[in-house]
Amino acid sequence: MNNNRTAWTMLAPAVGMVGLFIVFPFLMSVYFSFTDQRLLANANVPTEIVGLRNYQRLFEDGVFQNAFFRTATFAILVVPLQCAMGLGAAMLINSKLPMRNAFRTIYFLPTVMSMVVVSVIWASLYQTEGFFNSALSFVSFGTIPHVDWLHNEYIAMPALVLLSAWQGFPFQMIIYLAGLQGINKETYEAAQCEGATRWQEFIHVTMPGLRNTHILVGMTTTIFAMKLFTQVQLLTQGGPSDTTDTMVRVIYATGFKRGEVGKAAAASVIFFLLVLVISFIQRKLVKEERAIQ
Amino acid sequence: MKLTRRAALVGVSVVATASMTTKMTFAAADPIKVWHHGGRGDGERGRMEALIKDWNTANPDIPAILEIQPEGAYNEQVQAAAASGGLPDLLDFDGPNYANYVWSGYLLPLNDLISKATLDDVIPSIIAQGTYAPDGKLYSLGIGDSGLSLWGRKSLLEKAGVRIPKGIDDAWNMAEFEDALAKLQKLEGITHALDVKLNYGQGEWFTYGFSPIVQSFGGDLIDRTTWKATGTINGKAAVDAMTHFQGWIKEGYVVPAADGDDSFFGKKTSAISFVGHWMWPAHSKGLGNDLLLLPMPNWGGKHVTGNGSWCWGITKNTKNPSGTAKLLEFFMSTKNVSDLEQAMGGVPGVKSAASHVDLYKEGGPLSLYLAQLNAGMGVPRPAHPAYPTITASFAKAVADIVDGKPVQDSLDAAAKAIDQNIDDNKGYPPFGKV
Repeated sequence: MNNNRTAWTMLAPAVGMVGLFIVFPFLMSVYFSFTDQRLLANANVPTEIVGLRNYQRLFEDGVFQNAFFRTATFAILVVPLQCAMGLGAAMLINSKLPMRNAFRTIYFLPTVMSMVVVSVIWASLYQTEGFFNSALSFVSFGTIPHVDWLHNEYIAMPALVLLSAWQGFPFQMIIYLAGLQGINKETYEAAQCEGATRWQEFIHVTMPGLRNTHILVGMTTTIFAMKLFTQVQLLTQGGPSDTTDTMVRVIYATGFKRGEVGKAAAASVIFFLLVLVISFIQRKLVKEERAIQ
Repeated sequence: MKLTRRAALVGVSVVATASMTTKMTFAAADPIKVWHHGGRGDGERGRMEALIKDWNTANPDIPAILEIQPEGAYNEQVQAAAASGGLPDLLDFDGPNYANYVWSGYLLPLNDLISKATLDDVIPSIIAQGTYAPDGKLYSLGIGDSGLSLWGRKSLLEKAGVRIPKGIDDAWNMAEFEDALAKLQKLEGITHALDVKLNYGQGEWFTYGFSPIVQSFGGDLIDRTTWKATGTINGKAAVDAMTHFQGWIKEGYVVPAADGDDSFFGKKTSAISFVGHWMWPAHSKGLGNDLLLLPMPNWGGKHVTGNGSWCWGITKNTKNPSGTAKLLEFFMSTKNVSDLEQAMGGVPGVKSAASHVDLYKEGGPLSLYLAQLNAGMGVPRPAHPAYPTITASFAKAVADIVDGKPVQDSLDAAAKAIDQNIDDNKGYPPFGKV
């Protein structure tokens, strides 16, 4: 009993904080989502309960469905790319090369930079006379015409994916690096004795050894991808023709630009449920191995 | 936010240096907090900082601190600050947004705070913009008004054989304008004949710059008596106007956003620039004598241009209304208005300054802007509490039209969003009760 009380006392600060800053605001959003709460209360038009109107409106004009579809597209493109880049880089620096710490630091740099800074730099790389167009025209001897990376309906999303993967991959790299170092060296020695090629070694030793890491990395990257906002807000503002709109941007625009906090709250409640469902499905599909032999 | 903090530091250090040079300590009053949007033109931010520094040197007992808030999300910053009680004493805002701020109760009327002598000196278009219809009181004052029309390059227009208008009366009509674009587009070195500053992105420029085209055709952003958008912003006139606009893009005349800011005055790959007075410093530096200010075309029958600019208002948050008003009067003094607009190229906000600003003297390079406003061509953007929604919706529609979405669909969506917002706010009383 006494033990239990101590445990609760120790837990109290954490529980209190989580309750105050996460659970309570979430419950408030649930409540707001049923009202016409404005960003700024105004004496002329008091806040009223409006039932399900916010939810109806959200789905009525298709903006939210579109944002969900675009965000999902982004996640489907970026998660494999970013994880593959992370794993590739992790394998490169998981060697006995001299100066490997220097390489680790250099590879980690993009993630240390703020996404705002990265976006502004990439905005200039994507300009008409920017790096990508110059590079394309150099390798093709000027035969490839200039591409408007951020204003072309089909290219804007891949352009954002590339930028995001570049900025984000070092995070995955670090986790994979830890995973790689956790694989028992003897399994590699055994594989070499059996005459396995490097490729077979990768498929049959490295990949299974990283199982739990894959699950962790896949899940966190997906959740990060769902929260896509900064790059889009700075570079395309959801355009061209809404092809890069995202759920978080819709929430921001509804709540802050138009001051419709009630509707924004409804959107964020749905957003929360979607992320919850996705994580749940992922957990169901891939069961983590708790014990490592 | 980082930018804000750095700007605040700059402000603090300016105050600190100012008070050090005058050997004063400023334990006296709370400093007056001033928000400014930084501006697009060359050096506007620096001039603002210098102005505050001058004030602090002259008035060490009422020090002021300048904070620069990035323009891109300025209105959102103001709303968020208001929600958390963090509004400064004095802030600037782009023209019609003030109606929402007054309606929400952030601003103090200026009629009793600013001296009559100053108010009498302010040009009519600024008084008109800052007067809130429901109570007839003045809530905002601008150091300058804006000028909007076309910039051209003399050499290119002559080479292409395009008629150069002499003044407002012989301005181009739509057919002449489009014909000029077609001719200029063919010139060597010109990749896109027309720069309409798509690189500014979806924001206030889209409304300020392109709503006059709609108004010229007889449309508007919203009906200004019934305050309904449907039938006006998506009416036939507006659709016709924006169809022409989309046509320029489809023809490949318009500089894409990715080309950056300097295609007209730097890279010199465009021939006509549709932008406001704030590009005067850059344009005159880049093009010298070849630069030509052309009158706003009479696109659709009604000859209009945009007006209104960033203006100052005093918030209810201030503990020192009279001191803040004194600072605002300092901004509006003949000397400061002349100095600022001589550098920035805006239409001077006080009558007494016009004769000191070479650009706006009779025959001055920018006197055309004054002529446009004096001819009554300026159509202020609607000063209605729903303005933030009106401008966001129209700007979104413009962005969609640029991307090739059907004009009618884009404008229908804007109409619906605006009317829904007005309905949700019960017509923004007392506005709805007209």
